[in-house]
Amino acid sequence: MSPANDLSPAFRPRWTGVLTLYLLAITIGAASAWLAVRSQLDSGGVSAGVWRTSTLAGSSDADLYTRAVIAVGALLALNRDETMYYVATTDSAGQVLLSRCRYRISGAAPAARWWSVTAYAEDRFLFPNAERRYSINGGSAPLDARGHFAFETGPTAPAGAAPAAPWLPTPGDRGLSFTLRLYNPAAGLSAAPASLAAPTIERLGSCE
Amino acid sequence: MNLLRYLRIRNPWYCRLEVLAAVALLTHVLVVWAIPYVIMAALSASRPAEERGTGPLLPPMTDATSRRVVMPSPDLLYALCPFDVRQQPFRIQADPHPPGYWSIALYAANSDNFFVLNDRQAAGAPVDLVLVGPETGKASALPAGAKVVTAPSGRGLLLMRVLVGDYAAEREAVEAARRSLRCTPLG
Repeated sequence: MSPANDLSPAFRPRWTGVLTLYLLAITIGAASAWLAVRSQLDSGGVSAGVWRTSTLAGSSDADLYTRAVIAVGALLALNRDETMYYVATTDSAGQVLLSRCRYRISGAAPAARWWSVTAYAEDRFLFPNAERRYSINGGSAPLDARGHFAFETGPTAPAGAAPAAPWLPTPGDRGLSFTLRLYNPAAGLSAAPASLAAPTIERLGSCE
Repeated sequence: MNLLRYLRIRNPWYCRLEVLAAVALLTHVLVVWAIPYVIMAALSASRPAEERGTGPLLPPMTDATSRRVVMPSPDLLYALCPFDVRQQPFRIQADPHPPGYWSIALYAANSDNFFVLNDRQAAGAPVDLVLVGPETGKASALPAGAKVVTAPSGRGLLLMRVLVGDYAAEREAVEAARRSLRCTPLG
């Protein structure tokens, strides 16, 4: 006969209650940890306009929470001397980005060897689209005489746009964020991430 | 303080609540600490069984079906090698010559990026690295000329990135670059 079966009937309910309380405490601890990490995604760090970057992404100096947040939201990030990641979740007027809306992203070409802007859905993966366009980068974005780029994003191609015109499809009615990647950023920018000449994100039209 | 003492003496449930709160707090910290380890371990183990032991993992060009790692870059071609240096060193060799950027980055079991080498730093020379753990580095004979890198953890992940402008046009060069990667345990 096992020891558990030796317990008197009066004793068993008491231990069941204690066990339930400990399981509840463990559940609360685990759930609060997950919620704490999820709530810090795309927050904290340094701001440049509406773009935010973590100065500790990929760094061994990251604290417990930062490391967990990076692992959940941007796993395998490089340290900022190699690559800087800026994320925007609102437009320049402060409104939350939505895939059904049209936006115009413009600004000076960032001070980096190579850069790109990628659109992600709320699940932090790429938008499926027939054009198979997922990013606009330093190679695909034409620059004007001042060295500035401009392109549109939205669920459909901009009206009157040429087939080869740079634009980012964001189909459906979903959450949306943009990530600006800077590979081999200029030393000054790496040292002072807030000094980025932040691209603006302008909502076009009524978003219907 | 007197109130706390009074509560402890008069109400045993207060002590039980203290213990339960401590358990919840400890669990909270443990889960936050463990999240990167669990995600990295899951990523290292996620390789299809038929591809194990056949060299680096070479996922197809990133697109909307790429869901192994969050926020994948659609401009990069990847190669991955999980490593384990608890028993023996790990040799990393590559000779990539794509038209643009490439890098080889090493991540510890807690997801820290502890080493990165890019094309500018390599300056066209072949890559020859020996990754060692704290114990394996002194005990083993290491290849001459190889650069020794000490991993902060026994297990981790290597991620090679190759920049792709136009995959159709650059396919031969960028595929050759990532396929030049060799990850082999040093026996």
